Amino acid sequence: MCPTLLENEDRCLGGMTFFAQSHPIELCGSNGLPLTPNSITIYGRSQFLKTINHPNLSTYLDIIRSKHERTIVVAEYSGESLTNKKNLSLDSIVKIAYQSLLALQHMNDVGLVHRHLSPDNILITKEGNVQLYNYGLYYMTNGGKNVSFPIGYPKYTAPEVFLGTKVSGIKVDSWSLGIIIAECLLNQPIWPGVKLAQCLRKVLSLLHSETMIFERLARENNCYDTYQAVPQELRDLVDSCLQIYPSKRKTPAELLQLPPFAELLKKDAKEREENLYKNVIVRKMDELYYLWQLAGGDITMELKKQGMVRSRPPILSIPNLIILIGQMFGRRDTAGLLDLRVVKVPLDTLRQRLSHIPYTANYPRLTSQMHVQAQDDLTDAASQLPLIIRERDTEYQFYRIVLYDRLLQIYPITREAIIREAHKDIPPPVRGAVWAALLGIKGDIQKRYDMIDKETPTHTDRQIEVDIPRCHQYSELLSSGAGHERLQRLLKAWVRDNPYYVYWQGLDSLTAPFLYLNFNDEARAFACLSAFIPKYLHKFFLKDNSAVIQEYLSKFSQIIAFHDPQLANHLKSISFVPELFAIPWFLTMFSHVFPLHKILHLWDKLLLGDSSFPLLVGLAILKQLRDSLLTSDFNECILLFSDLPEVDIELCVKDSMAMYQKTPGSITYRRHQFDQSKAMHWTEPEPGTERMPRISIDDLLNLLENTPDQVIIVDIRNNIQFERGAVRGSINIPFTSVQLSQTDINTLGPHAQPLADNKDSIVVIIGPHDQNNALFADFLVSCGVMGVCSLQGGIYALRSKAARILVPTR
Amino acid sequence: MAEESYVEKIFTFKFPTCTTNQEYTLEIPLKIPYRGSIKELMHRIMTAFKLPCYVETDLLKALEQAVHELTLQFHDEQAEKLIDAARKGTLDIEDIIKNWEKIYKQKTVEYAEPVGTTDEELFAAAYHKLVHSPSLEPILQAEHEFGKAVTEVIQTRDKDIERLTKQQTEETHMAVETLESGSTEKSINEMTARHFEEQSLLQGHWGSRVDALKLEQRRQYRNWIMRLLEEQQTNMLPTPVSSPMIPMLPMRPGFYTINNNEDKNTAEFPQLEESFTTHVGSQMKQMHNIRILTGDVLDFCRTKPNNSGMDPTPQRLQTALGLYSNDLCGLVVLSDNHVGSYSGITKELCSICQLTTEFHFPPIDDQLEKIREDVKEAVAWRQAHHREGSDPQTKKSTTSKSLQTGDVFITRHSNLAQVHVIFHMVVHDSLRSGDINSRHPAILGLRNILKLACSNDITTLTIPVLLVHEMTEDMTVEWCTKRAELVFKCVKGFIIEMASWGRAELKNLQFLVPKGMSEEVFGTLATMLPSIFRVSKSLVFKASSNPQTPKK
Repeated sequence: MCPTLLENEDRCLGGMTFFAQSHPIELCGSNGLPLTPNSITIYGRSQFLKTINHPNLSTYLDIIRSKHERTIVVAEYSGESLTNKKNLSLDSIVKIAYQSLLALQHMNDVGLVHRHLSPDNILITKEGNVQLYNYGLYYMTNGGKNVSFPIGYPKYTAPEVFLGTKVSGIKVDSWSLGIIIAECLLNQPIWPGVKLAQCLRKVLSLLHSETMIFERLARENNCYDTYQAVPQELRDLVDSCLQIYPSKRKTPAELLQLPPFAELLKKDAKEREENLYKNVIVRKMDELYYLWQLAGGDITMELKKQGMVRSRPPILSIPNLIILIGQMFGRRDTAGLLDLRVVKVPLDTLRQRLSHIPYTANYPRLTSQMHVQAQDDLTDAASQLPLIIRERDTEYQFYRIVLYDRLLQIYPITREAIIREAHKDIPPPVRGAVWAALLGIKGDIQKRYDMIDKETPTHTDRQIEVDIPRCHQYSELLSSGAGHERLQRLLKAWVRDNPYYVYWQGLDSLTAPFLYLNFNDEARAFACLSAFIPKYLHKFFLKDNSAVIQEYLSKFSQIIAFHDPQLANHLKSISFVPELFAIPWFLTMFSHVFPLHKILHLWDKLLLGDSSFPLLVGLAILKQLRDSLLTSDFNECILLFSDLPEVDIELCVKDSMAMYQKTPGSITYRRHQFDQSKAMHWTEPEPGTERMPRISIDDLLNLLENTPDQVIIVDIRNNIQFERGAVRGSINIPFTSVQLSQTDINTLGPHAQPLADNKDSIVVIIGPHDQNNALFADFLVSCGVMGVCSLQGGIYALRSKAARILVPTR
Repeated sequence: MAEESYVEKIFTFKFPTCTTNQEYTLEIPLKIPYRGSIKELMHRIMTAFKLPCYVETDLLKALEQAVHELTLQFHDEQAEKLIDAARKGTLDIEDIIKNWEKIYKQKTVEYAEPVGTTDEELFAAAYHKLVHSPSLEPILQAEHEFGKAVTEVIQTRDKDIERLTKQQTEETHMAVETLESGSTEKSINEMTARHFEEQSLLQGHWGSRVDALKLEQRRQYRNWIMRLLEEQQTNMLPTPVSSPMIPMLPMRPGFYTINNNEDKNTAEFPQLEESFTTHVGSQMKQMHNIRILTGDVLDFCRTKPNNSGMDPTPQRLQTALGLYSNDLCGLVVLSDNHVGSYSGITKELCSICQLTTEFHFPPIDDQLEKIREDVKEAVAWRQAHHREGSDPQTKKSTTSKSLQTGDVFITRHSNLAQVHVIFHMVVHDSLRSGDINSRHPAILGLRNILKLACSNDITTLTIPVLLVHEMTEDMTVEWCTKRAELVFKCVKGFIIEMASWGRAELKNLQFLVPKGMSEEVFGTLATMLPSIFRVSKSLVFKASSNPQTPKK
């Protein structure tokens, strides 16, 4: 019997919470904007902690910013804290010291200082391994600057910390660890029962100590005998930690080189090699946390249950007085104390939810086509459900994540498979990676990004600085200091990397989704942006981009007329042209128009389509506004677009997909698009001259072959030519017989009835002269006929390419 | 905050070239501690000095090593400077200990004085629980009965005082008329003195009676609530214990007459009202309900008794349920800078508050008294913080001993009809007529109010849109529209500003227009709203063959 999925899962979640310091009064930053609340600054900074992955450091999983400047930190919490362990053997003490040092060394490598080390924060797992907990508090609060409480336990804090307010270096942790090991070795707490002030005095009095600190502590604690029993090399270890002068104190990396650890180091290296291929199917903790949340887990609720989030009725905290400048008086506020308790939450909720899934589901077998049969059954069944529902279904998300995880591990050979799966849906946790795959990102992107100079000032800096604090600022990530900094680096990098292009306002919005998804991976965000722009916005960022934009917008007008002649006619009658509203839409691929959570769903599909897809998204938005547009005059339309009403994004995506499928490729060809493979022999008239799009002969032949009942061909040559040879089933309406001024379809006579009744067929106009074709197409649209386009090259194209389908009509 | 401390060090890098025997030497200034990526720095150096690619690895290593060592050195030096100072005694160790002790005791649970839940919080929790249980009805009933008892006494008092005043007036009248015949100036003076004495005696008498009654009621009520909770918790009683109304006061039903003239008053003008659901924000839209209505600002406070006077009014139910919740109701009242109950709108407000007992918060007089103390502190603070302000207007405001336009004092209430929190914004009379712009202190005060509302879970806020409470002759239609437009636009801006930090909780916004505004002007203001705030698209149902479920 195969064990179920999480049967042997011991890892738990730990939640803790604290308050950020609120800014004293209404202050403004150097840019004149109000200061970012400290909790947001913390939120942004702490994202980096999520990337830290080390066996002896508990993984940071989530940082939640809640009301009234409260921050909640979720991290893995496995095992028990060292505080509860007594009578440890020498071996286990050495092991604890060793693994703590490994953890500290890794922290130092990535630039962190713990500053908060204490037995409470050293967790010992069931297997006896160390995991440091809460090691990011000093970092995420910017060295304690964003909070009002002190960081560090008085007893374990290095004495120099108390003397000044300077930023601490990595050696303060060596001191703390020294005290902790000393306590373990002496097997009793140092200075038991000492009051706070006395404790501080004792720590500071060590400054004047002339003897070795460890020895002195032992004497103070009346356990000199125990001290003497400690092996010399361990005494040396503690002494190397507890040096008053930091220059004599060793760093964690140096401490690891001491004799007690020599054997462990050797053993470790061996084990690492042996275990390389073991335990490959342990699910990562962040995935479990994500699923746990979907299964109904809520860390805030858990904290509340334990009384850690005490909700004081807000009416009791309102101040008495607030003067003009924003200073408050008579505030009755008692919240804000640092409570270091951690709430340990097992993953039970998730375990129950997934209890019927066997363990093997963690690692499904991929077929040679990078395919998992069970997935297809699953997604087929679920495809009818709205995306929102699918994104909230624990089990569904589990299976999807497992699959994507496998596919992404061996990307890029699985690119095709990823694209196929992305057509179904993309689970939020892997979206950043999947987008990169869809955009074909590969290679050493980190190095490429590193090589770009993002610091040297340029003349666009000023504009970038102005735009960033206005870009998607409702998002906590992007409004944080870290968010601003990273967005600036990305934008500067792009400008520097694309010397032929310039920074146009809107690039910031365009970059935002990539940064949002890859907040801890700037290189990938940059690579995505660099791939996205040529694909969808080729040449949009030229210094003179007017020709490109003009062509794009006139194509958009044609698409409107092609799919919705009634709307097009109305907009034309009030001369409301796309130039008035659609430039920011396309220049930012709608990222300036929608909030991030909508952009993500929109771009999920956008990335699967080609560069014409955005045109149909624009049309889908218009479709939602259609009723108001049809009844509005010019001024009302301007107002409507100046503050766009809420758009139903799921409907928008659905509509645009449907229309995208109904639109032959050649209808959307542009001279300025990046992919010129199909448009090679395309000769389009000057943008803006023709109201209706043209269709290529290849597309027409395709349509005739595959869906002949979806095409209505209107032949506008004279009867004689028509009778001599025409496409079967086509309607002959000689151009000369049409009175263009009479925009009524009924004037064409009974044989034009199919045009009037047309619902979703494409009407292709074939004639000898492009000019007449265009005029007639224009006429049909004015009559309200849908799906009108003219054949590129007219009858001659047909004759040269596929003369066989021209048959005599009599 | 001071700039982060750093030192500048020179990093030297030497590398050989293949062609000559010369060694190249680079000297690069580094800021220690170095923030940023060393790899990027390396690449920048490579490009800037056009270094050959074979030095890349060496340069990176050397850089990393140098930064690491220099950083250690930097921290060591910093720390050792302090340690030496401490050892020499230049640093006052006792002072340092005291400071740290203070911080630890103030800011961490571990060392702070253990604070239990305050009485206030305990009572709040009990009340909140009870009003969300079957006990709600008896509680409201009891509050109502208590209130009625106080109101009755107050009415008797008012009648008594009225009677005395009338009697005295007659007496004075008589005396003056008979000035020549019987009474002398002296006797009249004596009489006036006696009248005054009588008046204050009566006032005092009633005052103490009302206070005693309220005190007693408050005590009884609070005890009863706690008892009720206890019993509910132990017995799990579906029905609560009987009300605490000890037959202490005889009930005289049908006593209510006081508000009759009020009713007439409101009947004079038709109540005008219009509401919208709006979305604001450029990308992330926030939904709000916006209402514009006419009415007197105090109508939100007055509890209007229904005909029988036997049952509590429905508004009270809403207010009681919301009192300790995260959905508070706030009201902006324009006040003068005398934080007192002797004049103006504050006086009227006080008398409304005093009609019934305040069971939860200190009585309004006490609250105002506390605020007056805070004002002193605020004035001192203002003087301390803005001495350097050169601009004459700020100078004037900082030297003044009282509150300024745009300052707001706040009172909390549990016995009013529709509000929990009243923001008293201090304004000057000039606001009645003059033109103002968006930098006017009153507007900035409004911003503070909105900010406070957002951060304190006040989700319904009523704002007098013209920043006046009464219509006067000189308020032209143009003036009204201009003022309203300014307030609408500024409020919209503030809401967007608050939302930008992702915490705008304000759900309902009511714009109050003074009674007596013509329907026409009201209409103009009301039509302004949907154009300034973006009104949500109304749901349009279309008749189609296949039924569609409407999507949000």
